[in-house]
Amino acid sequence: MRKAEIGATTALAVHSLCAAGLATGYWLSHSLYSSSLITDPAPTLRILTVCEAPVVILLFSWLRRDHDRCSFIKAVARGLIGLPIGALINAFGAIVLGAPVGLKFWPATIYWSMLLSLFTFVPAACVFGASKLDWQQILSYSKPSNIVDYMLSVPAHGAIIGAWLGAWPMPLDWERPWQEWPICVTYGAIAGHLIGMLFSPVLIFLHRRHIRTKTE
Amino acid sequence: MRMRMRLKAAAAAVLCLHCLGVYLFTRGFLLTRTELSAFSLPSDLLQAQAPCCSELPSTTNQDQDLPGWTPPTVERVLILIVDALRFDFVAPSSLFQKKQKWMDRLPSLQHLASTHPSSSRIFKAIADPPTTSLQRLKALTTGGLPTFIDVGNSFAAPAIQEDNWIHQLVHTGRRVVMMGDDTWTQLFPHHFNHSYPYPSFNVKDLHTVDNGVAQHLVPWLHRQDWDVLIGHFLGVDHAGHIFGVDSQPMVQKLEQINAILQNVTDIMNSQKHLENTMLIVMGDHAQTLNGDHGGGTSEEVETCLFAWIPRSLPSSISSIFHPSTCGLGLNGKNICTSTMQQLDFAVSISALLGIPFPFGSIGRVNPELYALSPGSWDRQWLPASFYEDPSSDLKMWKNNYAHVLCINSWQVKRYIDSYSATSVMGFPSDDLHYITKLYNEAQSRWSDSKNRSCKPENGTIDEFSDFLLSFATLARSAWTEFDMKLMVVGLGIFIISIIFHLFVFERVQSLSNVYDNKTQKSSNHLQIYVAFLLVAVRAVSFLSNSYILAEGRVANFLLATTAIGSIRSSLVYGKIKKHDLVFLILIILIRFGIEKGMPKQAATNPFLNYDSGSDFDLKWLPSLFEGHDFVILLPEISPMIILFLLSFLSCKYITSTVHSRCIKWVVTVGTMLSYLFIATFWLSERSFAPKMVYVIGLSLFVLNFVLRYLGILEKGETVQRLRSLALVMVSAWSPTILILLGKQGPFVVLVCIIAGWSIISSKNKGLLDDCKMDPISVMQWSLLAICLFYQTGHWCTFDGLRYGAAFIGFDEFKVVRQAILLFVDTFGISHILPIFSLPFLVTIPNSSSSKGRDKTVIFLNLTQVYLLYGLITAITTTFTVLCVAIQRRHLMVWGLFAPKYVFDAIGLLLTDVLICVSALYYC
Repeated sequence: MRKAEIGATTALAVHSLCAAGLATGYWLSHSLYSSSLITDPAPTLRILTVCEAPVVILLFSWLRRDHDRCSFIKAVARGLIGLPIGALINAFGAIVLGAPVGLKFWPATIYWSMLLSLFTFVPAACVFGASKLDWQQILSYSKPSNIVDYMLSVPAHGAIIGAWLGAWPMPLDWERPWQEWPICVTYGAIAGHLIGMLFSPVLIFLHRRHIRTKTE
Repeated sequence: MRMRMRLKAAAAAVLCLHCLGVYLFTRGFLLTRTELSAFSLPSDLLQAQAPCCSELPSTTNQDQDLPGWTPPTVERVLILIVDALRFDFVAPSSLFQKKQKWMDRLPSLQHLASTHPSSSRIFKAIADPPTTSLQRLKALTTGGLPTFIDVGNSFAAPAIQEDNWIHQLVHTGRRVVMMGDDTWTQLFPHHFNHSYPYPSFNVKDLHTVDNGVAQHLVPWLHRQDWDVLIGHFLGVDHAGHIFGVDSQPMVQKLEQINAILQNVTDIMNSQKHLENTMLIVMGDHAQTLNGDHGGGTSEEVETCLFAWIPRSLPSSISSIFHPSTCGLGLNGKNICTSTMQQLDFAVSISALLGIPFPFGSIGRVNPELYALSPGSWDRQWLPASFYEDPSSDLKMWKNNYAHVLCINSWQVKRYIDSYSATSVMGFPSDDLHYITKLYNEAQSRWSDSKNRSCKPENGTIDEFSDFLLSFATLARSAWTEFDMKLMVVGLGIFIISIIFHLFVFERVQSLSNVYDNKTQKSSNHLQIYVAFLLVAVRAVSFLSNSYILAEGRVANFLLATTAIGSIRSSLVYGKIKKHDLVFLILIILIRFGIEKGMPKQAATNPFLNYDSGSDFDLKWLPSLFEGHDFVILLPEISPMIILFLLSFLSCKYITSTVHSRCIKWVVTVGTMLSYLFIATFWLSERSFAPKMVYVIGLSLFVLNFVLRYLGILEKGETVQRLRSLALVMVSAWSPTILILLGKQGPFVVLVCIIAGWSIISSKNKGLLDDCKMDPISVMQWSLLAICLFYQTGHWCTFDGLRYGAAFIGFDEFKVVRQAILLFVDTFGISHILPIFSLPFLVTIPNSSSSKGRDKTVIFLNLTQVYLLYGLITAITTTFTVLCVAIQRRHLMVWGLFAPKYVFDAIGLLLTDVLICVSALYYC
């Protein structure tokens, strides 16, 4: 079983690769297209998504739950299908929470929800597929049995909470360009995601020690 | 039974505490200045041995019959007030970055200013907020600083009780003629020799007042039997209110004013008896580009004052004028402008006319305005030695001006002393010492210079000015100063009431836990924490003006957060239910409603920059369906369809829920009739229909209580009984609220019903017991109420009231009746309906576990719901109060925080009253 091999270090490595994907995307957009999130959000978000997507899908397909029944290719396919579905759910959630729906915001909203989908929905889709029980488990925290659960759930929740918090400066009258949709929300989501990724190895480490003391 | 009595008493106690807190805080926050009833008398100067007069035995003897303190320096004053005159209406456009459509539309004034630079001047007059006409007129005539409480009196203008220059004029036998805005006759009912008032109430009427003034002005200019003539034009203000500044009607209005002014100056130039007449064209306040005023932004306070005298004055006047901003006028000549405080107007006009300065005036005689009068260049008070001195006009003028300032300072000092002696809240003693020191220094220097019989130098003028300006600064800070003690006590009472509330809530909670099985205690606690976290987030957001402006969207955001959280827990506990998704879609709809109201709010609020095009544009939508008939018909028909649906729904629900047969029929028939009347009203605009709706609503409401106490509705199970009671209550209110909301009403009520249904059915799945109170649901209920308030086109300022609703069914205006209708419209959907329908939260229909519940348990749950709802409102309002107290020095305190406080305080008291009524009715 590959499951047992995954420790805090592996989690850290996977997470740092994800973060590296984000950083590469940001660097690419900055140096190649000289666009930043503030000046033109939609193209930057697109580059970020394009850079992050392969990293996330490949890494988490490698971490897939049922190695015996599910091949690597199948997991990648699940991730690719999960990307638009997750984007749809994220976009709907954002619109419910008050994201603007004007035509001129559509590109930014689409790429933003893709990125958020990569943070939240796609990893879980790669790992679990359509297993309802696993999804419920990861949402409820009731049985943190698995290490991969931590790796999925903590950064995803971090991203959502970060995005939620990132929306708060939007109504303020500071008249800064970054208060526009979806810039500060993206910053919040990325920050929350990174914090979650830092936090999950710590939790995994604690969890393993807990188990070890229990068994002893 | 004893418990019920106790809980009713608790609700009443909370209401009383809140009343007390609101009263005390309002007393401290919405400040009143102590108005002194003393009047200046001509003889004051002699009796008081004022230091300024000691050197003037000759003039005082000689002018014994002269009633003033200083000799008049002009013969007549013609004051033409152009309401809401912006500075850039008068000043040359070259002073501004870009020439706009409305600039340079008063060329007659610019022409005078450029061709007669030594006998005319354009001033930028800085008014003090609140910039509403009544307050400004009061300030202009009394020379004081009216406070916010006066804004409340603006609806029924009371006569001015303080000393003012109109009173002084009348008292010294001058003849005052007034024409224009009828606010003047309300302020000064018995003062004018002749008055031609025109109604100022009708904003849509651009011309009646102006044409009236123009009609009477010219004949009076040819007459000689007047000393002061006041003409007040309202057209510019009204054009601004209706069309905005950047509009053709505004340009036309300014051109009309220009023609009138041209005519006036021509007459003044040609008539000999008007040679010594000063023409003053001024605004009482300015306006924003949207035509609003009331606040303290520079657009609203920077009005204009133009002064001109037909006689030529010594050219040395130019050295008195401040080196100031100049720009090229239309004719290519230079036009210079100065700046003055509107506060100085009252005392300056008194000095010009030679009347005693108003007792409560705290302004300074403006040197530039004073220099524009020929009399100030005469040898008035010069000692004999001066006559030999071939000194320049300038020195003489300075001597005269120093004398006037000396009297001015003495008058202000007298006011300071008597104000400190009589008012409860005087000035801070440190500042008072400093002011007194300044005054004493100036006076001693003045008497020194007199004793040495040399010319009073510039220094004396500077010292007197220094004293007067320092005091004006102190007064400004003091009369917008809040009574911190009362505010803190009020706030303390709010906090005590919250602690009491929490205590009662905790008691009821533990009681219900005794009755209940205690297994779900921890889960319930978590829910309460989440609910209070949401309340805290919302409450803290009031610290920023931006969040107050966006309150509707913030509430919607939080409501959406709870909905998403509830979906998440649905996922955890099983499947997503249909009502969860419906609720999300409803939230989007509500949000669109709130955002539709934002541009309207932005149009009346200078602080809100809301770009309507960027956020919510469905401009492409109509183009898709262009040419189809139903695009035109849809807005007309859809309310009818929804109304029909609503009546069907309520009919069905009433018949299935209410068991007592006669009640069922009475309520159903009443509701159906109401809906029928609403439909007739929309189709035919008959005014009897709304009246019938009100009558049916009121009689059903009264009937409810009668039946309740006759015990007819007592039959059946507890849950059953409670549900039917609540249903009957809501049916009694909803048609009235619906008709007041207008055509959006059916849609909003439908949204309200579906959202309520979603909240009820998505109640906490973790709890096994359906009748148990879920704090999150109560929080959602309260957030929904706030969203509905904003969705129906309300917002927390006085111009956010939907005045049109007050006249549904009535054409003529009666204060009490219209106020009640306006009140029901404003708070109906956000307070009355949600609070009366709270029992639905504990009585879920068709739930198996609610059957056969203990009466006491239901009662305890209901009490918890009401207590929690009251608590949420109380906490948010307390935070509003706290934030208002913290932000009392904020630029937008009067524009934003104070109205928000007023709305929240009224909302809190209403909530408490409604909870008490519900306690009587449901328990």
